[in-house]
Amino acid sequence: MTYDVYMHFPVIAIMTLFVGAFCVTLAGKREKLRNVIACISVLVPLTLLSLLIKPVMMDGQIIVYWMGNWEPVEGYAIGIAIEVDPLSLFFGLLVAIAVTASCIYSFQYIKQDDARGSYFTLYLMLSGGVMGIVLSGDLFNIYVMLEVMTFAAVGLTAFRTWNPNAREAAFKYLVVGSVGSTCSLLGTALVYAQCHTLNLAQISAILPGNLNPTMVLAFALLFTGFGCKSFMFPFHPIAADAHGAAPSSVSVLISGVFTKTGVYGIIRVCYFLFRSMGMTSVQTMLVFIGCISMFVCVTMALNQHDFKRLLAFHSISQIGYILTSLGLCTALGVAGGLYHAINHTLFKGLLFLTAGSVLYATGTTYLENLGGLARKMPKTTILFLIGAFSISGIPPFNGFYSKWLIYQATYEKAAETGNIAFALVTVICVVTSVLTLASFIKVGHSVFFGQLAPGCEKAKDPPAGMQLGMGILAALCVFTGLFPNVMMKYIITPAVNVVYNTSLYIDSAMGQGYAAEHLGDAVMPLMNGQLPLIGSWSPISWLVLFVVVLAAVFLVSLTGRGNRVTTCEPDSKHAVFFGGEAAEYSHISGGDLFWGFKHTMRRYLGFMSRVHTGVTNDYVLWAVTATAVILTYCFVFML
Amino acid sequence: MFKKLIDNAAAKSPWLYHINAGSCNGCDIELVAVLTPRYDAERLGFKLAGTPRHADIVVVSGPVTVQSLPRVLRTIEQVPEPRVIVTLGSCPRSCNVFKGSYSVAGPLDKYVPIDVSIAGCAPKPEAIIHGLALAAQILKEKREAKK
Amino acid sequence: MEIMDIVMYAVYILIFPGALFTCLFGLWLAGVDRKVVARMQHRKGPPVTQPAWDFLKLCGKECIVPANAARGVFMAAPYIGLASLIVTVLFIPLGGFHAFTTNGDTVVILYLLAIPTLAMILGGSASGSPYAGVGASRTMVSVMAYELPLILVILAVGKGATPDGYYFTFSLEQITSVQELFGPNLFDWRLIPAAVAMLLVIPCEVGQHPFDVGEAETEICEGPLVEYSGKPLAVFKLSHCIKMFVMTAFFCAMFLGGITTGMLWLDVVLTLVFCTVVTLVCMSLLHAISARFRVEQLFKFFWTVVSGFALVSLLLVWFC
Repeated sequence: MTYDVYMHFPVIAIMTLFVGAFCVTLAGKREKLRNVIACISVLVPLTLLSLLIKPVMMDGQIIVYWMGNWEPVEGYAIGIAIEVDPLSLFFGLLVAIAVTASCIYSFQYIKQDDARGSYFTLYLMLSGGVMGIVLSGDLFNIYVMLEVMTFAAVGLTAFRTWNPNAREAAFKYLVVGSVGSTCSLLGTALVYAQCHTLNLAQISAILPGNLNPTMVLAFALLFTGFGCKSFMFPFHPIAADAHGAAPSSVSVLISGVFTKTGVYGIIRVCYFLFRSMGMTSVQTMLVFIGCISMFVCVTMALNQHDFKRLLAFHSISQIGYILTSLGLCTALGVAGGLYHAINHTLFKGLLFLTAGSVLYATGTTYLENLGGLARKMPKTTILFLIGAFSISGIPPFNGFYSKWLIYQATYEKAAETGNIAFALVTVICVVTSVLTLASFIKVGHSVFFGQLAPGCEKAKDPPAGMQLGMGILAALCVFTGLFPNVMMKYIITPAVNVVYNTSLYIDSAMGQGYAAEHLGDAVMPLMNGQLPLIGSWSPISWLVLFVVVLAAVFLVSLTGRGNRVTTCEPDSKHAVFFGGEAAEYSHISGGDLFWGFKHTMRRYLGFMSRVHTGVTNDYVLWAVTATAVILTYCFVFML
Repeated sequence: MFKKLIDNAAAKSPWLYHINAGSCNGCDIELVAVLTPRYDAERLGFKLAGTPRHADIVVVSGPVTVQSLPRVLRTIEQVPEPRVIVTLGSCPRSCNVFKGSYSVAGPLDKYVPIDVSIAGCAPKPEAIIHGLALAAQILKEKREAKK
Repeated sequence: MEIMDIVMYAVYILIFPGALFTCLFGLWLAGVDRKVVARMQHRKGPPVTQPAWDFLKLCGKECIVPANAARGVFMAAPYIGLASLIVTVLFIPLGGFHAFTTNGDTVVILYLLAIPTLAMILGGSASGSPYAGVGASRTMVSVMAYELPLILVILAVGKGATPDGYYFTFSLEQITSVQELFGPNLFDWRLIPAAVAMLLVIPCEVGQHPFDVGEAETEICEGPLVEYSGKPLAVFKLSHCIKMFVMTAFFCAMFLGGITTGMLWLDVVLTLVFCTVVTLVCMSLLHAISARFRVEQLFKFFWTVVSGFALVSLLLVWFC
């Protein structure tokens, strides 16, 4: 296929989702037809974007598609463009995978709900909006898609209208989200006033040289706007409510995909449009926000009693990792951040889907009311364990590889700048990782292990469709963990290249030499493109060694028989030891775990739960304060 | 391949689980005395286990009161095979001075077979060590008898 | 040639320094530890072979899977823990003997060391016993406690000075080779606090006496292990012994590496002697002289005192 054919793929990918959204409505109450339409509309973008890996990622072509053939006139891009560079394609793929897995899952999952027709309409609108953001090459277009996405997400959050929590969460989301939207709209307007264009590539060429106070204001506003969409630190409480209340298949999108648009926006704003990432002040801001998000949210997560709320706090914590890593402004940092972004989408999607399966099987996600599901839902348990090991960074799963990249990136940054603060960032990352492990032990113990809780007797593994959705994500978790070299070579490195060398992106949209003409000296890459590693980790050889040793241990354990294994019979011999008493129901539930930690940190944890009041006014106050602080910071340190 | 080694090991590392079935605490203190530096039963591999699942030898002291009987039996049942039951002191064997009391259900051999009895009220530490060593030998025999 | 390579790797994995040697040496360390503790308490103590007998005896016992257990996880956990521990040993250089050390660095080892503990926690909580639940919770708190000082130690050791300037590394191979040139890290005054911190981390990671809150046999019936019997228990006890070896070997690689005599086998023997000495210093000594910490005391101790030591070292390395 030639380049001309590829050119149309991105726009078709976006349009299929939107067209699908309307066609689903036409299907009315015919369930089969509706599912087929939804399935096609998510599979088409996935296929098209996968086909683009070859030309964009491997051959380094950047696809620029001018809508209605409105090409730039006299060096000014007037028309709307779709610009797909490796970075956009990276996020596009991530979106397509998550959307597909979650869509397959939702066919069965929402069978219990009413209003199933509107579910898929909103679902596809949300997906289309996200896809539009990451593939678009036009700042205002991004804003429009952001709004489409936000309103679809609000609608889906309130999808279970019988649940008052869902309605409340949607309202909070709407109000706080609008602070972010306002900021990004204002920022977009200021940029347009200054540059007289909305094309990303052209702005990236014109802006970096002219950083006047207006543009600093625009930067701060755009940063806050996208930060709000990624639910970074002061915006995080709404995420907890929204993720927790929405159906699990939607939480996958909100947590795995929606937040990534914020991350994508921040990369575009900081690395491309303003090229402000070279400034120490911006790096410090991003790393600081990242660290706070990661630590505060992981400690909040440890305190949660609801499976999905816990996952929600974790997703902000993982976003913190991504922001920290991106804020380092080194090639390794960007690589680590992007790798963690795709991993986060995979494992958090998987975990939300397992939470959904628990809800589907038992009707609750409240940790205190669950227990012992491993014997009733063995497949879900295994999938959950894969997700939990991935997110807590247990080798050889994928979370470990990206975290490992991030540790090296932060420590190398410390080495490069001689600033010990970056070494402490590494420490915070590791501690966060341990606390993540702890909170998933908590979930594993209180939901899947221990004694079977009353009311869970009838639980069983979800139907095949839901298992397939989870299975896809689990397989990808294992794949990205075991074959990081493949991922690095074909997916991550091309994206990193375009991030540090923006002139590629500008030139392919605006014509050869445009970047050099406008950027002047700034055309030089922001950072060294090398990915120097100060450690080594080879998951495949670990796996080989592990399998060999495990086989040896197993063989040895087979010899020397003469003892027998007696299992699970309901007599007093096989009853759990209760100090001689007859066995009774006694389950150490999630809230009782980690007493020593909670006791030592009681002041901090108490303060944190007091501050998270759940009142919309407070959260809006946080959002507005955060905006003000970021504005002030930018004016003080960037000019 | 390792059968012989494992059989030998049975006598060399007997772990104890101690059940107090209404004892006056005299025997219990003597059992603990066995582990002190003076007698040091650990040199023979004896160790007090925290749970019946880890134990090889169940040591029962006390006249087996009505209240404790079901608990004693349940706990003994929870010890994995091969296991040896040792009675400590006179009480579990004869109910001693508590014989005839309305609240005593003993002696223990009405309910489970007893492998070793250590007599005395309370038995001397030397006697306890001797009894436990015998129990360890029985443990080995039981293990060897198994196919 | 091909076949010779495969045979050599098989020997590395299965015999030395892999499965067989690791198990034997771990059992030896545990035996020495028990003997020395007994001698310090003025007891005769069990023979050095006692842990091996314990292991063999447990192999010959019946294995009971309790009625509440999730059977798959309950039975698989000990074996996975053991295998991952043995693989971890292969990643640690033993006195100039590098088996597979290029495949993992210090951070990888930090994470690999979490797998056996995780296996124990999951196995325990899969048994369905409330004692195991408490044990799992306490074990996890002790993991949280020691990871902070351990990463600080790793970062402090990771930055070292050569006459040509600074180097930053996570690679154990590089850490040992630099020590070969400039003497062991233990004799670098700036790293002494880090070594002390590491010595305190070792018993906590292994689950040895003053820090064995998770397996407290007198309080919570050995915590996660409460329902285990027979072979799985034997494997857990063996893992416990091997952990002593892994942690002391890790300590030796980081702080006592690069002591060369010119002969590889002598270096290896020397390292093994060091491992034994470190075991005696940080495990037997502490075991004999101290009572068990409460769980919140342990957490506080590690996040303040031990982390403080490690942080001091990091600051010294950074600014001196």
